[in-house]
Amino acid sequence: MSVLFFASEQAVRRAALVLVSVVMGAVAACTTPGDSASAGSSATSSATESLAASAAGSRRASAPADTDDFGTPFPKDVSASARIVSLNPTATELLYTLGVSERLVGRSAWDEFPAEVKSVPSVGNGIGVNVEAVLGVRPTLVVLYATPENRTAAEALQRAGVHTIALRVDHIADFMALTTRLGRVVGAERRAITVRDTVQATLDSVRAVLRGVTATPVVWPVWLAPTMVIGGGSFLDELIEIAGGHNVFHDSPAPSPQVSIEEIAKRNPDFVIASDSTMARLRKDAPWRAVRAVRDARWLRSDPALTGRPSVVLGMAAVSLARVMHPERAAALPR
Amino acid sequence: MRADAVTVNVTAQPARAAVPLRFEGVSVKYRGRTTRALDGVTVQAAPGHVTAVVGPNGSGKSTLVRALLRRVPLETGRILLGDIDLLTVAPRDFAAQIAVVSQREEPSLPLSVAEFVALGRFPHRGAFGAMSQADTAAVQRAMERTGAIETDGRRTDELSGGEWQRVRIARALAQETRVMVLDEPTTFLDIAHEMAVFELLDSLAREGCTVLLVSHQLNLVARFASHIVLLHRGQVAAAGTPSDVMRGEILERVYDWPLVVTRDPAVGAPALLPLRGGGRGRHRG
Amino acid sequence: MIRPGASTLLPLVLGAAALVLVALVAVAVGAVPISLSDVVQGVLGQGDVAIVSIVRDLRAPRVALAALVGAALGMSGGALQGTLRNQLAEPYLLGVSGGAAVGAVLLMSLRVTDPFLVTVGAFVGAATAAALVTALARVVGGSGDTRLLLMAGVVVGAFANAAILVALADAPPDRLRGALWWMMGSAAGASWQAVGRIAVATLVLGGALVWRARELDVLVLGDEPAAALGVDVERASRRMFLVASLLAAATVASAGLIGFIGLVVPNLARALGAQRHRGMLILSAVYGALLLVAADLVARTVRAPADLPLGAVTALIGVPFFLTRLRKVVL
Repeated sequence: MSVLFFASEQAVRRAALVLVSVVMGAVAACTTPGDSASAGSSATSSATESLAASAAGSRRASAPADTDDFGTPFPKDVSASARIVSLNPTATELLYTLGVSERLVGRSAWDEFPAEVKSVPSVGNGIGVNVEAVLGVRPTLVVLYATPENRTAAEALQRAGVHTIALRVDHIADFMALTTRLGRVVGAERRAITVRDTVQATLDSVRAVLRGVTATPVVWPVWLAPTMVIGGGSFLDELIEIAGGHNVFHDSPAPSPQVSIEEIAKRNPDFVIASDSTMARLRKDAPWRAVRAVRDARWLRSDPALTGRPSVVLGMAAVSLARVMHPERAAALPR
Repeated sequence: MRADAVTVNVTAQPARAAVPLRFEGVSVKYRGRTTRALDGVTVQAAPGHVTAVVGPNGSGKSTLVRALLRRVPLETGRILLGDIDLLTVAPRDFAAQIAVVSQREEPSLPLSVAEFVALGRFPHRGAFGAMSQADTAAVQRAMERTGAIETDGRRTDELSGGEWQRVRIARALAQETRVMVLDEPTTFLDIAHEMAVFELLDSLAREGCTVLLVSHQLNLVARFASHIVLLHRGQVAAAGTPSDVMRGEILERVYDWPLVVTRDPAVGAPALLPLRGGGRGRHRG
Repeated sequence: MIRPGASTLLPLVLGAAALVLVALVAVAVGAVPISLSDVVQGVLGQGDVAIVSIVRDLRAPRVALAALVGAALGMSGGALQGTLRNQLAEPYLLGVSGGAAVGAVLLMSLRVTDPFLVTVGAFVGAATAAALVTALARVVGGSGDTRLLLMAGVVVGAFANAAILVALADAPPDRLRGALWWMMGSAAGASWQAVGRIAVATLVLGGALVWRARELDVLVLGDEPAAALGVDVERASRRMFLVASLLAAATVASAGLIGFIGLVVPNLARALGAQRHRGMLILSAVYGALLLVAADLVARTVRAPADLPLGAVTALIGVPFFLTRLRKVVL
C-alpha cells in the first residue's frame, strides 16, 4: 500500500501553495522599490542608493536653474514664501541665517538647529510627510527633502494650492545650490550668496592650509546594526577630503553603504571618526576589535552638532575635522 | 488460569491479576449534535472471556472506544477497571494495563515493522535506554502470535491493508496488558487471517485476559464471544450470551433488515442469514 | 531485530566531520585571507595580533553563532513536524518566528537594547504566537487537525509581519533599515556573549526535546494511537510545541528571522535514515549547523564586501530543496 508520508495530498498541496506565496510575498516586500534612506534589503540598498545618487546627479546636471529637484518650477513671486513650512533641516537652519525665520510656521520633527527652532511647531517627519498636519498650519510654501518617497506628498500639497520646493542635500554642491535657490525664492538672494561664499571661502582656506599633507586614511561608522559607514556619496566624504583625510570607503558611491566589519579591517584605516556615543558603543562591541584602529584606540572625535547635516556650519565642520586629523597644521587653520 | 497452549513458541505470560472492564451508565454527546451518541450504556467485560459489542453503523460502538481512550468527555457515567475509575489513572498506567486497537490508523512516519511494534513497549520504558530483554521478548512474541513476523524486515509504508492491520494488533499485543480492546480489527483481513485473529483473541481470553471486541462480524462473534452487547442508537438493545442476543426479532428490529437466525450445525453457534431486501432501501437513522 | 541508532550513526559522524571542516573553512575565508594554519594559530592566540583578533573576535563567534542557530532551528523544526504530524511544519511557517520578531522589535522600538531583555521579549512573543495558533485552530475546528494548525500559523505569521511594520511606521530611516536588516536574518556582529546565550538555549531547550523524543515517536502515530499507548496527547503536544517555539524564539533573538532550516533539515535527516525522533533531532542539529554555517559563508562572500541577509540565502537554498521534496511526496 503506497502511503503518503504524514499529511494528505490535499493538505500538502495547500500548505505548499501557502508556503510559496509567503516566500513570494517576502521576496516582493524585500524588493519593493524604496529610497536609499528607507526600507530595502541591505543587499540591494547600496545598489539602489548608487542608482538614486547617480539619478540625482544627472537630475542636477540637466535640471534647469529655476526648477527644484523634482522638476517643479520655483515660485516667481516672493510673496509665495510668506508662510513657510520647512521639512528639510538644512533649509530650516538656512532660513534663520537668511533672517527670514519669522516666516517659518512649521518644521520637521528632526529639526534641532538653531535652538530657536524649537519654538516653531513640528508637523511631522521629513520623510513620509504628514500632508494633513502640514496643511494644518496653512503654509504657502513647503520645503522638502527630494527623495522619491516625498513625491506623492509634494503632489498632494500642490493640489492643495501650496508651493513646494524639493531639494537634495547629499553633497556640498547640493548645499551651495540649495542656498542660492532658496535665497532667491525668499527674496534674500544677496544674503544667500554671501553665506554661500563665506562657507566656500572657509572650505577653500582649509584646503589650502592642508595642501601637500599626506591624507590620513579614516573610516566613519554611522550605524552599528547593520554596520554602515560614510561612503563616497556623502558630503562628509567630501569634508574628509578637504580636511586632509581619505575615506577608505570613498570608492563606494552610496552615502552610507552597509559593509562588513571585516572589510573595514581589511582596508585598515589609521583612525576611526566617531561621535562620543558611537565611540562608546564601538569600544564595547567585541567584533570591532578586529579593526586595528579600534584595537589601538585611535579615535578622532567628531561633533554631531557640526557634522550631523550639511548646513551653514559646513566650514566650521571642515575646520574641526582638519584640526583632529592634522593637529600639526592646526595653528594655520581659520578661527 | 486455564492451562492452554496455542502455539509452541509462546512462552507463559507473566501472571497478573485479572480485572474486569466495565462501562457504567456511560453517556456521551458530541459537540454540536442534539442526540447522544451513547445514552446510559452499561457494558461489562469479564476476564477470561471475549465480550463483543455489536450494532448497526452509528449505534455508538466506536464512541465507546473513544470514551475509553478519553478522546471524548463523558456526560455521565464511569468507566472502571476492576474498581478503579479510569479517569483517575495516568495515561501511562492506563496503557500499561489496557491495550486499545482503534478502528483506523493512518500510517505516518515510515518505520521498520519491528520498530513499529516496539512502540507498544512505550508504556513500560523510560526516557532513555535500550530495549530490555523483556521488551524484546514481548515484541517477538507479539509478532509471532499475530503473524506479523512474516513482514519482519519491511517498512510500514510498504504493507498491504491486511498486513498493516496485523502489525497494529501486534503492537497492542506487545503492550502485554491484561485487557485488550479492539475496534473492528478484521476489516481488511481475508478469511484465513480473520479466523487467525479471532482465534488469537480466544486464546488470549483463555489465558485470563479481558477481551472487548467491537465487530460487524456477527457470525464470528457468535462463535467466539461468550457475552454480546447489542447497541442501537446509543443504547443497549440487548445483552447476554450469543443465544440470548442473536434472535431474529431483536436483530431485525435493530438492523432494520429482514434476516433469519439459524443454528449452524458445524460449530453449534447461532448463524445469521440476511435475506434479500427486495428493494426496500430503508433510510438509516 | 531492532537496532535503534545504528542507521543514524554513519550520517551523524559524516555530518559532524563535515561541520568541523566547513567551520574551519568559514573561519579561514573572508575579506582578509587567512590560511588554515593561521586559523589554528589565531584560535590559540598566537601569531599576528591582527589575525588573532579577526579570528577570535570576528569570525569564530560568527561561525559559532551560525552553527548554534542552525542546530536550534533544525531541532525546532523536527519537533514541530513530529508534533503536528506534518513534514511542512517549521517555526517560520507557523508564525512562531514572526511572534518572536514582534516581541523583539517592540522592545527595540522602545529603545530597549539589553540583549537579555530582547530575548525575553522574543520568548514572550513566540509563546503568544504559539498559543494564538493553537487557540485559533481549536476555535475553527479542533487543534487535532494539523492542517488547521498550519493555516492558523500562516495567519498569525501574517499578522505578526503587519504588527512589526506598524511598530516601525514612524521610525527614522536608520532605525527602520536596522530593524529590517535584522528581520532578514544575520549572524554578523556576533559576540561571544551572544554565542553563550544561544548555546545555553540550544542545550537546555534542545536537550529537553531530545529527552522527550520517545514521546514524539508515539505522538506522530496519531491522536488515538498515541492515547492508546499512554501519552497525554493534549499536554504532550502543547509542551513540545512550546519548547520548540521557545527554541525558535532564541534563534530569532540572536540572529533575526531565518527560515527554511527548520523545514529542510528534518526532512534531510529522515531521508538519511533517521526515522525515530531521537536520532532525527540529533541529526537535524548537526546538519542544521552545517547548513547554516555554509549559508553564512555564502552570504559573506558571494557579493563581498556587502553582507547578504542570511534569511535570503537560506530561502534560495531551501526553496529548490523543498520543491524537490514536495514532488516526491505528492507523486
